[in-house]
Amino acid sequence: MDCTTCTPTPARKDRPHTFLAHEHANCPACAARVEGRVVLRAGQVYNLLRCVQCGPQELLVAEDSTRYLEEFLARGQVPEGHVGDWLFKTTTSTCPSCLALLEAEVVIRDDKVFFKKACGKCGPSEALVSEDARYYVQAYAFARAGTEPLEFTQEAKLGCPVDCGTCSDHEQHTCLPIIEVTDHCNLECPICIVDNQYSSHMSLEVFERTVEGLVRAEGRSESVAICGGEPTSHPRIFDLIRAADRPEIGRVVLITNGLRIGRDLGFARQIKDSGAYVALQLDGFDAETHRVLRGRDLTDEKAATLRTLRELRIPTQLIFVAARGVNEHQIGQAVDLLLGEDHILSLNFQPVALTGNGGGRFSHDPMDRLTIPGVIAAVAEQTNGRIRKSDFSPLPCSHPQCVSLTYLLRLNDGSYLPFPRFIDFRKHGSLLRSSATLPATAEMHDTLHEVIHDLYAREHEIERGSEALAALRRALDVMFPGRPVSVKEELRIGEAQAKSIFLHHYMDPHDFDLERLRKCCHHYAQADGRIMPGCGFNLFHRGAAKGPDTGVPAWAKHAPHGSGTASARLRVVT
Amino acid sequence: MRLLEGRVALVTGGSRGLGRAICLALAREGADVAFNYSRNEADATDLLERIQSTGARAWAWKTSVLDRAGLQTLARTLEAEAGQIDILVNNAGVGQVVPLALMEEEDWDRVMSVNVKGAFLTTQAVMRGMIKRRRGRILNISSLAGLKMMEAPVHYAASKAALKGFTEALAKEIGRYGITVNCLAPGILEEGVSTNLPESRLAEYLRHCALGRKGTFEECAEVVAFLVSDRNSYMNGATIVLDGGV
Repeated sequence: MDCTTCTPTPARKDRPHTFLAHEHANCPACAARVEGRVVLRAGQVYNLLRCVQCGPQELLVAEDSTRYLEEFLARGQVPEGHVGDWLFKTTTSTCPSCLALLEAEVVIRDDKVFFKKACGKCGPSEALVSEDARYYVQAYAFARAGTEPLEFTQEAKLGCPVDCGTCSDHEQHTCLPIIEVTDHCNLECPICIVDNQYSSHMSLEVFERTVEGLVRAEGRSESVAICGGEPTSHPRIFDLIRAADRPEIGRVVLITNGLRIGRDLGFARQIKDSGAYVALQLDGFDAETHRVLRGRDLTDEKAATLRTLRELRIPTQLIFVAARGVNEHQIGQAVDLLLGEDHILSLNFQPVALTGNGGGRFSHDPMDRLTIPGVIAAVAEQTNGRIRKSDFSPLPCSHPQCVSLTYLLRLNDGSYLPFPRFIDFRKHGSLLRSSATLPATAEMHDTLHEVIHDLYAREHEIERGSEALAALRRALDVMFPGRPVSVKEELRIGEAQAKSIFLHHYMDPHDFDLERLRKCCHHYAQADGRIMPGCGFNLFHRGAAKGPDTGVPAWAKHAPHGSGTASARLRVVT
Repeated sequence: MRLLEGRVALVTGGSRGLGRAICLALAREGADVAFNYSRNEADATDLLERIQSTGARAWAWKTSVLDRAGLQTLARTLEAEAGQIDILVNNAGVGQVVPLALMEEEDWDRVMSVNVKGAFLTTQAVMRGMIKRRRGRILNISSLAGLKMMEAPVHYAASKAALKGFTEALAKEIGRYGITVNCLAPGILEEGVSTNLPESRLAEYLRHCALGRKGTFEECAEVVAFLVSDRNSYMNGATIVLDGGV
């Protein structure tokens, strides 16, 4: 039943353009200042505007997209001797106090990137967005056309983020669908982005309907993540896992704090038997880290969980929320854990996003926080050169500011070599995917062939070239065995060839960037069929869907202030 | 300007017969020429001098086309000395007139090894630099016996047919790097592997050949010089028959 060769799924089509950035412009019909999508299409550049009054508009911005991109990137180079802030571009962000949508200046200051905003009600604010301006600017060079879902669940009427769900203006399909199955939890994390009400568990019927909607929209999904709350508190969690374990879905991932796994071996065995993967929240290895981020010392409990996962060889992904001054010194230790355990497939660093019931109140300085370049630097420093800054690349399938990643090829002696040591990710862009492992797809087959030829040509010039070639030969042999393989088998084989380190910076009211939301590919699937981009859901829609006093979305509780952008005015239309 | 000015060519089995004619033709057209040989030092020395007399640089290696390590060293050394290898002519080959009934396993292995595996190993050693530079010309010397039903030794015909497949698959595989791979299939030539043919077979061939004669090494080498030149830029994966019209 799960042979996709026999039951091919419909192919998703690429977007007709490459979405690059947001840029404000005047509506050609009513002259209102409107935020638009700058896209590269057929060698030209257009700004796609959605004016609340006049509807969609299209402006030709430049005749030569290559030149435009070069000039766009050049805007991010601060002239030598320049004093003060350097304006790179503008975008739409949020007031950190009232959540009103505001036009933000993206400025470079001391080689870092900041948002500068002015709310008519709450006053001016600034926020650090990136600790490395060069990384931030050059990430735009990785922009690549997105892919459409088989069906959009919402019509674009009022624009982003009002029409969330996803609408036809959204620039990427769902790479990683997430389903929240409970609002019960066994921790009260100070940085929790969810406002758990301890009110309900999603019923099996609703869950099945949610998965069905997801499959209808996506056709096939590499994975589905089940989270909460704490999903292991759901009384029918294994029924949910079984319901998600469909031919169209490669792997079912349980995003968990792991406490129940560590203390209940029978439960852990059931997870193993179910075939589910575990995405384990593990922010560090000492009591203080756990106390600050999770509310109490979890050192022993996490150690017990790790032991059980290792003993049962449950395929595991680690999620490490990194916070300035709290646990950044333990980043290297997390990498060591990834590389030292066969059953740990990937490591996902998430610079902390301070939003939601807990995170919104967490003590922090928005001008001094960890961002993706900061985590990359910490990885490089704390792994003693085993992993370097240059090993990471922005992920083009999401907005390139959202995710950075590297893949680590498993050599035949069991050690790992980062892919960028032997290939150029800008050339082999299809390798950069929102996937923890290498899939055995036809596209991957072609890419690996090209990589092998390129590597063969330079075998004696690059570090461990012969070993990398031997490993790629092994990967080719096992990933493409010359017989039909199921989606699930394909994933298992790919997982044994490489590991990955992802850095995913979710957004909060300080650094929210509507431009990034536009191409988000980590989506919350809803029971009503909507599929909500993650940070938009966390900031604007979760409150509207759950909890007390949420009849009106939090971000729509305030009237617009002063002469905001057209996007800001969207709120009053809800 | 000569066809191959500034190019560097490697010809396998270059010291004698068709290989020697190819080396001289390529040198005459401006290429620096390297070749390997397996036995006759005197022939190799003589050819070196002949090539150098045209003003071209020349190199000779006593290395078998079945010596993988030797070929890798050859390619590395030649690239270090000459700067690059632009052209590879897989010419080395052996033949043996023997009916299948009497063919020993060793006979089969020897012909298949030299004619097919030799091309594989040499190409693998040379294409590394070609991929890196995103350019190259590879020409495999096959035979009419690999394409048409003729009275030819089975192992020889099979090996030459294999070179056609080798050409086409490789052309597809590395065409993306600006490397073309083609195949030349001569009919019966005046010397070389056809010299031991029984009279009856030769007569039959000539009856069917429109020109009514055997070809020469020089005629064949002229075509090779064009096929590996930049003037022949769009041909890839092709097998060119040079048989006087059979």
